[in-house]
Amino acid sequence: MSAIIENNQLPFSAKFLQFYKDRTLLAILLSLFAVMFIYGIFFTENYLTITNFKAIIRDAALYGIMAIGLTFVTLSGNFFLLSLKETASICGVTFAMGMATGFGSPDLAGNFLVSLLAALTVGVVSGVIQGYFVGMGGNPIVVTLGGAGILYGIGAWWSDNLVINFTRPHDAEWLGTGSFLGLPSITWSFILIAIAAEIVLRHTNFGRKVYLVGANKAAGKATGHENFSMAIIVFTICSVCCAFVAVAFVAQMDSAQSNYFSAEFGSSGDMTILVIATVMVGGNSIMGGYGSTLRTSLGAIFIAMVDNMMVLQGFNSGPRIVGVGLMIVFSIIVFGLFAKGSRAQE
Amino acid sequence: MENFLKKITKDVDLSFAILLSFCVYVFFAINIEVFFSHNISFAILERFAVLGLVGLALTICIIAGEIDLSIGSNAALCAVIVVKLTDPLGAPLAMIIGLSVSTLIGATQGFVIAFIRIRAIVITVGTLMLLRGVALLIAEEKTVMLTDFRVPDFITTKVLMYFSPASLTVIFIFICVGIFMRYTKYGREIYAIGGARKEALTAGIPLRRPMIIAFALSGFCAGFAGTVIGLKSGTAQGLGLQYLLLAGTVAAFVGGVSILGGKGGVLGAAIGALTVNFLNTGLVFYALQVHFVQLFTSVLLVIVIVFQTMSRVFDSRQARKSLLATIDERKTSLLEKKRSALGR
Repeated sequence: MSAIIENNQLPFSAKFLQFYKDRTLLAILLSLFAVMFIYGIFFTENYLTITNFKAIIRDAALYGIMAIGLTFVTLSGNFFLLSLKETASICGVTFAMGMATGFGSPDLAGNFLVSLLAALTVGVVSGVIQGYFVGMGGNPIVVTLGGAGILYGIGAWWSDNLVINFTRPHDAEWLGTGSFLGLPSITWSFILIAIAAEIVLRHTNFGRKVYLVGANKAAGKATGHENFSMAIIVFTICSVCCAFVAVAFVAQMDSAQSNYFSAEFGSSGDMTILVIATVMVGGNSIMGGYGSTLRTSLGAIFIAMVDNMMVLQGFNSGPRIVGVGLMIVFSIIVFGLFAKGSRAQE
Repeated sequence: MENFLKKITKDVDLSFAILLSFCVYVFFAINIEVFFSHNISFAILERFAVLGLVGLALTICIIAGEIDLSIGSNAALCAVIVVKLTDPLGAPLAMIIGLSVSTLIGATQGFVIAFIRIRAIVITVGTLMLLRGVALLIAEEKTVMLTDFRVPDFITTKVLMYFSPASLTVIFIFICVGIFMRYTKYGREIYAIGGARKEALTAGIPLRRPMIIAFALSGFCAGFAGTVIGLKSGTAQGLGLQYLLLAGTVAAFVGGVSILGGKGGVLGAAIGALTVNFLNTGLVFYALQVHFVQLFTSVLLVIVIVFQTMSRVFDSRQARKSLLATIDERKTSLLEKKRSALGR
């Protein structure tokens, strides 16, 4: 009781310090944001323009949505999926197949709804199967490493490793390149999905269960929330997020190929590792039970900001990958040192 | 010989590995005429020089209860360094530099893991990206090439019909690591922190030393694999060699390691790597595209995981059953005693 009163009477600076102590990594991230921002304003040309900020959020949206899906998996204590980009690529191939050929029946060709449903179904199926194996007691890393090879193999086999094109105008343009109130649709989806995920995690029964199972598997099992059903649900959520990103990306490019999301894609060489990096840089505990999708979204925007600044400064892909890698290692080490002995660790 | 048989029958996973590799070999030997020949055996051993090392690296890490995801990047970095330095410095010096860099990276990872007490998957995802970036930086985003392609001839000449200097060195490394893991204190410490970490730490085993040794060994093996690939092909890329992680994991798991740690060994790693090699070499004859090789390798991994999980579930059920049976036995014997005492 006395502690509460004392806390209320504390001066502002002490409260600020207390806030810093409680949320160390979030605070470090916010201060890094500020430093980056000020540096960008003074030393980078064309930084402080609305177009540039739109570009940053648009970049962040692509891997941010996938990272929000992955946050559910991480929070529930199942580490992460190594099959993110393969899931996305097979869903993209499915969507492009539907848009181009209608899966064999010419009536359905170019039907947005059918293609979208097919892509989401593929995502759900792959998520459920991987989640089933993990729930049975398999290690998530090894299972999804195997799943990645199988998904990529099937996707490449199905598309003959060719680029599948479909021509404009098509029904999916509003998702790929359209915009609403000045922001691209993918950015709006990112914002909506982030808000929805935050509400689900904080204010629903299911969200609290995710935290419970992640923080303490034994306690979860004792209270009747086994990791088996939880693993299936969170893996499905993550795979559906991947499918959605794939659909949006394919709708933008008007084409799909089985290795769209691998080495040559984006800044950092590998979509899977970039998404995992986003979750980690945001400061979520990889052991589960600690973190939020808000942190993940901030992490996505932060990585996009750093990347954007390095592009504007004229760096090649090598230094940019080193930058993202250093950010991950830094955030892991800082988090590990500060969380030593606390609940957030093992 | 009897000892060997006893060991195999006792270890279910190892006997399953031997059975699996035998099945794969026989399948290809029956279906492909030339598969059972001297030249193909030489080719398999040549591939073994690369894959066996990666499998060994992952096996050591998994025995220590951790998994090293940065193996592909580490190998790529070493390959880039070796290929780049071979021209100005000569192959032996370049190899020494590359291998020491890889070993140092592995040891640093082990130190960080033991110092912060963090899980290895967390930190190695970070280093996966970091090392890839460093490799790209060193290669200047280009494909590095040897100018004189005769330089690496010394590791590919045929010796004794089946071997080349590369595969002989790899077999030598396997034997050394096997003796190290089995008969030295340091090797047993790695098993101890993998199998039962809390108990080992309570018993006074330090966490840092075995962790650093395990990751340094794995870094060395990954670097050596990268060196062999780089010198053999004469080229190296910063973004290459990422497929090694999948292949190495399959080799390690076929060889009978458990993800829980403390189980498996060098013999298993060799058998697992050979199985993957049989599969890869056999698929070459069907002239399939690359993604099919990946598909079949992953299917192999899933088969092994399912087998391991099932055998674990089966084991725990058996243990439960036998426990219940002994309890029942004791109960009935006690009841009988009671009855006889009352009856008298």
